[in-house]
Amino acid sequence: MEFFNSHVLSIMTFLPLLVAAVIFIVPDEKFARVAALAGSALTFFVSLHVWHYFNVGSAKIQFVESYVWMPEFGIRAIFGVDGISILLVMLTTMLTPLVILSLWHSHVAHVRYFFGALLALQTGMLGALVALDLVFFYVFWEVMLIPMYFIIGVWGGARRIYATTKFILYTVVGSLLMLAAAIVLYISYHRQTGIYSTSILDLYSAAIDPSTQLWLFGCFALAFAIKVPMWPFHTWLPDAHVEAPTAGSVILAGVLLKMGTYGFLRFAIPMFPLAVKSFAPILVFLGVVGIIYGALTAWVQKDAKKLVAYSSVSHLGFVVVGSLALLADGSLSAEALTGAIYQMINHGVSTGALFFLVGVIYERRHTRMLSDFGGLASVMPWYAVMLIIATLGSVGLPGTGGFVGEFLILLGTYQSSPVAAIMSATGVLLGAIYMLTLCRKLLFGPVTHEENKNLKDLSPLEFAYLVPLAFLVVVMGVFPDFFLAKSRASIEHLAKNYRSYSLAIDSH
Amino acid sequence: MFSFPEITSSFYYTAAPVLILVAGSMVALLQGVSQGFASRRSIEVTAWLTIFAAIVAAAVIPGEQAEFLAGGLLSGNLARTGQFAILAIAACVMMMMREHHTGASFFRGEVASIFLMLVSGMLVMVSSDDLVTLFVGLELASIGLYVILGYVQPNRRSQEGAIKYFILGSVAAAILLFGFALLYAATGTMRLSGIVAALPSIANHGWVRLGALLTLVGLGFKLALVPFHMWAPDAYESAPTGITAFMATTVKVMILTVALRLFSGAFSTMSEVWYPAMLILAVLSMVVGNIMALVQTNLKRMLAYSSIAHSGYMAVAICALSTTATGLPIRAILFYLLTYVLVSLGAFAVVMSLETAENDQLTIDDLSGLAKKRPWLALSMTVFMFSFGGMPPTAGFIGKFFVFNAALTNHLYGLVFIGIIGSAISLFYYLRLVVRMYMAEPVAPFGALKPASGGFTLTAAVLAIAVVTTVLLGTILPGEVMERLVDTATEVARK
Repeated sequence: MEFFNSHVLSIMTFLPLLVAAVIFIVPDEKFARVAALAGSALTFFVSLHVWHYFNVGSAKIQFVESYVWMPEFGIRAIFGVDGISILLVMLTTMLTPLVILSLWHSHVAHVRYFFGALLALQTGMLGALVALDLVFFYVFWEVMLIPMYFIIGVWGGARRIYATTKFILYTVVGSLLMLAAAIVLYISYHRQTGIYSTSILDLYSAAIDPSTQLWLFGCFALAFAIKVPMWPFHTWLPDAHVEAPTAGSVILAGVLLKMGTYGFLRFAIPMFPLAVKSFAPILVFLGVVGIIYGALTAWVQKDAKKLVAYSSVSHLGFVVVGSLALLADGSLSAEALTGAIYQMINHGVSTGALFFLVGVIYERRHTRMLSDFGGLASVMPWYAVMLIIATLGSVGLPGTGGFVGEFLILLGTYQSSPVAAIMSATGVLLGAIYMLTLCRKLLFGPVTHEENKNLKDLSPLEFAYLVPLAFLVVVMGVFPDFFLAKSRASIEHLAKNYRSYSLAIDSH
Repeated sequence: MFSFPEITSSFYYTAAPVLILVAGSMVALLQGVSQGFASRRSIEVTAWLTIFAAIVAAAVIPGEQAEFLAGGLLSGNLARTGQFAILAIAACVMMMMREHHTGASFFRGEVASIFLMLVSGMLVMVSSDDLVTLFVGLELASIGLYVILGYVQPNRRSQEGAIKYFILGSVAAAILLFGFALLYAATGTMRLSGIVAALPSIANHGWVRLGALLTLVGLGFKLALVPFHMWAPDAYESAPTGITAFMATTVKVMILTVALRLFSGAFSTMSEVWYPAMLILAVLSMVVGNIMALVQTNLKRMLAYSSIAHSGYMAVAICALSTTATGLPIRAILFYLLTYVLVSLGAFAVVMSLETAENDQLTIDDLSGLAKKRPWLALSMTVFMFSFGGMPPTAGFIGKFFVFNAALTNHLYGLVFIGIIGSAISLFYYLRLVVRMYMAEPVAPFGALKPASGGFTLTAAVLAIAVVTTVLLGTILPGEVMERLVDTATEVARK
């Protein structure tokens, strides 16, 4: 138990990888299924331990572990969570078992490797979220790509190879620039202090001249903007989503995209604070463009999955706008920041559910075209209930998590820039339009297609992975404080002190 | 007066690997012409015994620096590491050749003899401080390679490749020799260490500069840096794959060892002369190598262009040697070289385990659907491709990290930027292979590829070692390895 307590984060991070290795070696599909579900469920329980013992009210970094890797170069494996990352960690550990559950009866070829890839992906995601060392962050960041590359490329749709190559090349170009910027930062820190360190806890204190900060922020921001993806770097996303299998889409939209916005909060903003002032207007502008462009493009989509994919561009635009709401006194708006973090989780839950739901009808009809459906509410009433809950969460109806997130973002942004807030607010309106269009075309009206008359409603398995998400959509709207309490101290610390940011280690 | 240098017993220790190889080479040659011992089996016994004896001998070479024959032979970390690496690669290549369809013609008396002889030339080259000895070692290795390239599989294509390599290689040798001659004329010494001492006072002299540049060109030829790379794709493509693997790895080891001695030692006082030239070579190699690799369909040609690009990355680290802080670039080069050697050997081992006598020019399309038929082979190739592309958690990432680190420490921002672009391009063609293996259906005549043997093979052993080491070097081991390279780096940098 002693060992468990002091290594909980590395256990949580590497457990999925271990299970993936076992699955890869044991050539049995039934075993793979059980092992994958058990492994990811166990990971979730480990993360619940972290959640439970997380010290609320502390802005310090908690559950810290540190291992020597390359002492000469100051590269250590430092893991830790704080209020910025804890919610995303929970989102990751919660979504993965659901995704594995959704593949329970799947007949895709080599499903064993699919489970392995998902678990390896989970290690990458968790690692990137808990790593507090630039090199380790980069390693996990890239490690995330490889399983996703195979998930889209092997189990994807017709144009999967084009989509997956585009996905990985876009991301790699950005992240290589980030690597170079990270090395420059590392070298400048050494020039100042004589110490080699890639730990961000040290690098936060590096005093870099403003013009260099601009460049470095630019390189980091480009990598993150591609990942988010922000307009105009978003073009890989619709391709990736359309070609990816349902499970891949859920993880991609649910967690992977948030790595970009998380990167801004953890790395770009606090490490290069002098560049924030110059970059904030640009990024907010791109965010607003993304909100409106994503919404308008989603509106005209004929393919349900593409519609949801573009809605992600729009929703993540909100997160970017909320992350960079500079107030008159030079600090960031804590409300907007809270909204941004909350919105990341909301988006993961509601969009994850939406991708699952699109997958459900795709599995039955092998089409996702809106025109092929209609009147499903009478044929599949439970399906309709779930879709409506997910939709309401996505459009931000009061009582759902989406409302809390968007409201806080708009509130904070209004104090920073009323114009940006008003422009963003149109996104809320457009969101309601295109999401309700989706609902109307799928669910209501007469059943126009003969094949749709006999569609089966949700199976118990589908309930099993949809109900937790639907439940969360509502709970997050009604009891936001249950979640946000864990983050509040860290968010306020970042918002106020990002210009002289430091993270203390909480040793409890 | 000329006096013959005194020969001590420690000389024999140091020279033992070379002497053993020469002796083994003679024995193999005699076996080839004698009636009773010309069988493949007996030749193999000789070759294996020689290589193992040489490896054991190389292991006892003292790590501390000493010189014999007036600098003709050195002991020390760099020499020892270089010799050991070359012998290990030779052993791996012999293991793979054994099971390859060209194995029968490889283990013939005269071929085995030439092979052992050229390995001895390489050993001489990595452990010499004397320009003439260096050149003798280089030519011994090169001439052996020209012959073996066209002789193992005497068909038109391989002979054409051998002739191309021979002509261009000879031109390169002539240029290198001319450079050496100019250096000698200017400094009056053949010793690299003597040149270091003499250069500062005459570094601005036109002949010295020309000598240094010609030397650079000669080495650039051998390293296949663009624009001196034309021989490489043809030679790589036409040679029997085992020889390609041998050439792609050992030549780089040998030339880079010498380059390290020259650029961090003898030429360190005149970096303003060679630095711009090296910069151009590095940029061109990264750009041209990667772009040309993009359009190749022949697997070995693609690997040839990719090796040109990797030479470019190592040249980036050589550029970083131009400033005073040399410890990091030297170690970066050595680490990068280590990963390059491992991954190349592994990638060629994959190619060799698929080739047959009828189908010995694999195309990228031939690998379609490999993951279904030979999952472990496909997995290994994937690890190698990700490592070549510099993706974590493989050795290739750590190698690129250190090279970029060394370059950025020396403010070579532009070079790193081009390196990054090159890496992104390279990932495209490395991944294309992965796409073929995992995401494409097998092409109709999959039977053209060699079927799995089922049992244990030496090629599979080489492959397994390469895969495991590639992953370990990317995860647990890099700190350890870099620490071990410190001694070598200080030894080289001191000179």
